[in-house]
Amino acid sequence: MTDVKAMTAGGSDDHSEGMSYLESIPRRLVTLYLPLALFLIVLLFPFYWMALTSIKPNEQLLDMERVSPFWTWEPTFQHIKKLLFESNYPRWLWNTMYVAAAATALSLFASVLAAYAIVRLRFRGAQTVGGLIFLAYLVPPSILFIPLATVVFQYGLFDSPFALILVYPTILIPFSTWLLMGYFKTIPYELEECALIDGASRWQILTKIVLPLSVPGLISAFIFCFTLCWNEFIYALTFLQSVQNKTVPVAIVNEFVDGDIYRWGSLMAGALVGSLPLVVLYAFFVEHYVSAMTGAVKE
Amino acid sequence: MVDVSNKSTAKAVGRRPPQQIEVSAWSQLKSNRTWLGYWFMLPALAILFLFLAYPLGLGVWLSFTDTRIGRGGVFIGLENYEWLQGDSIFWLSVFNTLLYTIVASAVKFAAGLYLALLLNKHIPFKALIRAAVLIPFIVPTVLSAIAFWWIYDSQFSILSWSLKKMGLITQNIDFLGDPWNARWSTIFANIWRGIPFVAITLLAGLQTVSPSLYEAATLDGATPWQRFRHITYPLLTPIIAVVMTFSVLFTFTDFQLIWAMTRGGPVNATHLMATLSYQRGIIAGQLGEGAAIATAMIPFLLGAIMISWFGLQRRKWQQGSDND
Amino acid sequence: MNDFTRRTFVKGSTALAGIGMLSGSALFDWAKAWAQTAPWKPEAGAKINLMRWRRFVEAEDVAFMKMVSAFKAATGVDVNVVNESFDDIQPKASVVANTGQGLDMVWGLYSLPHLFPQKCLDQTDVADYLGKKYGGWAPAAELYGKSGGKWIGIPVATTGGLMNYRVSSMQKAGFKEFPKDTASFLELVKALKKNNTPAGFALGHASGDANTWLHWALWSHGGQLVDKDDKVIINSPETAKALEFVKALYENFIPGTASWNDSSNNKIFVSGDLHLTSNGISVYVAAQKDNKAVADDMDHAYMPIGPVGKPTELHLAFPILTFNFTKAPNACKAFTAFMLEAENYNPWVEAAQGYLSHFLNAYDNNPIWTSDPKRTPYRDVSKRTLTPGGLGSLGEKAAAAVADFIVVDMFANYATGREDVKGAIAVAERQAKRIYR
Repeated sequence: MTDVKAMTAGGSDDHSEGMSYLESIPRRLVTLYLPLALFLIVLLFPFYWMALTSIKPNEQLLDMERVSPFWTWEPTFQHIKKLLFESNYPRWLWNTMYVAAAATALSLFASVLAAYAIVRLRFRGAQTVGGLIFLAYLVPPSILFIPLATVVFQYGLFDSPFALILVYPTILIPFSTWLLMGYFKTIPYELEECALIDGASRWQILTKIVLPLSVPGLISAFIFCFTLCWNEFIYALTFLQSVQNKTVPVAIVNEFVDGDIYRWGSLMAGALVGSLPLVVLYAFFVEHYVSAMTGAVKE
Repeated sequence: MVDVSNKSTAKAVGRRPPQQIEVSAWSQLKSNRTWLGYWFMLPALAILFLFLAYPLGLGVWLSFTDTRIGRGGVFIGLENYEWLQGDSIFWLSVFNTLLYTIVASAVKFAAGLYLALLLNKHIPFKALIRAAVLIPFIVPTVLSAIAFWWIYDSQFSILSWSLKKMGLITQNIDFLGDPWNARWSTIFANIWRGIPFVAITLLAGLQTVSPSLYEAATLDGATPWQRFRHITYPLLTPIIAVVMTFSVLFTFTDFQLIWAMTRGGPVNATHLMATLSYQRGIIAGQLGEGAAIATAMIPFLLGAIMISWFGLQRRKWQQGSDND
Repeated sequence: MNDFTRRTFVKGSTALAGIGMLSGSALFDWAKAWAQTAPWKPEAGAKINLMRWRRFVEAEDVAFMKMVSAFKAATGVDVNVVNESFDDIQPKASVVANTGQGLDMVWGLYSLPHLFPQKCLDQTDVADYLGKKYGGWAPAAELYGKSGGKWIGIPVATTGGLMNYRVSSMQKAGFKEFPKDTASFLELVKALKKNNTPAGFALGHASGDANTWLHWALWSHGGQLVDKDDKVIINSPETAKALEFVKALYENFIPGTASWNDSSNNKIFVSGDLHLTSNGISVYVAAQKDNKAVADDMDHAYMPIGPVGKPTELHLAFPILTFNFTKAPNACKAFTAFMLEAENYNPWVEAAQGYLSHFLNAYDNNPIWTSDPKRTPYRDVSKRTLTPGGLGSLGEKAAAAVADFIVVDMFANYATGREDVKGAIAVAERQAKRIYR
């Protein structure tokens, strides 16, 4: 293993950008920086808008005549303070983390095993089972809402985080399994054959060869699963009831919409604060994401 | 794991195809790998069966009944479907769903791939930019939908305000009150949210493409487009197939975004099949009919997935999985 | 939940310094005495899970939670309150009704109990007790609360959907007082548009605002979705007239009303850009806090009377129901009655600042309705309101028709030009026939 890594690591530093350093600066400006800047502006503007709304005083929100809406000179931390210290926000954040982490771990565990079995064990009926797992995603959550509620009650999981931890994998497993199958397929089969000949068990092959080589895929799947759990709305809205069990998206909308009055400041502060831990986490992971590219398809 | 130092020699042995060794290793595998396979599948299948297949069966059954919330129904055969066949709102929602899915997925793919290629280049603050790009994907959808709703507000829209200040328009744009404006606005919000996922996953795929291939191609005088067309794209197809198939799925079954921004309005112009099924089934309590709308999504979904899956998946991958 | 309550207490105490309010310990003493004499003895160790709509006015919620803790002090019954937004109440309650677990009581809106009458506890004794003690129920109360001769829900209050207008703009448009009939109302809307002080009414899927004013528009012209035998009669010349009326209004509205939800008009009115709309009193309450100039210049009026010659208003009723599968039926009944006793109800309605209007006649005397004359019109909404069933029965069919926005979409279809009169009516008729089959 180690020498495979060493070998590929050598080849995957900045030379991977090909000949780009030969391009001239003005050319790069037009072909790279300009489009990239446009992308960033479009992708980040709503986020900036959220952040700005969360520190604007209320009276400036609906006033576009006297003050420029793009900036505020009198930022207020009242919305954020209200969010953090006068609501159950920390509790909701914890619930969300807990549910997302548990559901993601469960899904990745099940997906890794399933993907490996389908791609590499190719047991009898593997193709069929693979197809079935894929079909599982065809089930729109909006219709599973009522039957699932019945089921959740039957299993005695209502208003418990376990309802979400067990239900979320139904959305996550199909995708992660197929994503991981794609990555597993790119791992040279010879590596495994050799290991088998040397007497390694399937479990050892999986944990010592396949998984380390699939780190990029695992990170993709992790990012995908974790975010989806973090964002999930319908199920969390249905299966959880008490204030102290809710997850961030559901709780914020519930707490800061007073009938026909939206409390924009606190809503947006909630979106902001709820996203920041993830942004930090992801910044860290994207770093890994890049460095973990071990060139699995290399001959 | 096996002794690392042995690996290269073992590999050499494996490469040389010595028939007898391989046969014995394989036969040893065959004897138990089916059972092993089943064990490996167990966690995934158990969860999917208990929390998906079983409720799904319940849901399909519901679509053949006249169940309402709070009381059971009786079997009425295809009545719900017959009713939907003549329902103009249902067909409008089918149209909206297809439009939404096709336009949003196509743009997400094109823009996502473009962004992935840009991010794959040598740029300063690479990690920071990559993380920033993911932000739309990270913010809880409901809240970003509310933020978009605020940005599209009929009165206090920042977009209208800016365009007015620039002198390009004199009246506020009615983003969500006019049927076509509302469709494009919601599609844009969906694209905004979907691009990061497509881009970052494709970026992961791009990183696995060996730079030596580019170097060779560049030395042969290939243009950037040729390099993309003949190296990047073919090597990327497996990942593209997966990403796009799921992108189509997510777009097709999108619910939160529409529900938070328009509730299917104005005048049902942005109702997707998922939101219509929720409105009829849950809000209005006609569970049977709602279930029928949801079940009716399945053939459309299957079609969309077939196209994105088999259309994008090239023979190469299939060969790869069939031969080795 | 506990520190939530304590916290909101502190915040709300100033808002509650109104009249007729018992101080903390006095309230507890009264509650204890009440529990001794009340006809319902809560089950030992009973616990109630109650879901209510998410407050519109913060002080109202504070007063409500105060009752909850007084009830606990008096009876030992824990009431666990869950707040949900308007639109989520109905699906959630339905799921619970379907599965038979999770909640004991729901305080919902419109005809919620009629969605699943067979799952509601018979509360006739509670209704009779309250009616006798507090001067009888307003007529609409029976329509909202009773099904098959039994009270399946207790109508706690109504929130009115009345005209909110800017006095100065109305005067500038040439009207001394708010129009009393639909024809001059249309003139007012046109004149407001001309003066660039436009009106606007929700035509989107706004479960409160759009349903109330569009049903008013339909009924005021004599249109009806169904007759008294639940036969669909929407296809009528009267409906066509109502459609023309709303289209004429829509053309003079501020742009964007087809996308409005319940919050849209509040926001624009408070900002000062909207000069006439229909809403509960929450606009006024918010304006007093955020934009005093608008609050001082605004007033409320009944909905104008149309060609049918009598008021045809629809307001948002809030009935409370108890599921018949609750383990503590007596505790639930006791709590329902407890809420509506004068010692609780008066300060509560006071705290709601006009947002909640009573169904029990004796509460007409609450000074909240006269201390600020701008609130007075909201006093009578429980007496003036019809039900979403129209002429027909108020049951799951009517509830489904309202929840599916049949009437709202019919008007929006025609007003925005998506369908002609015939087409708009045909779509509504087809849907209604299915629901009322």
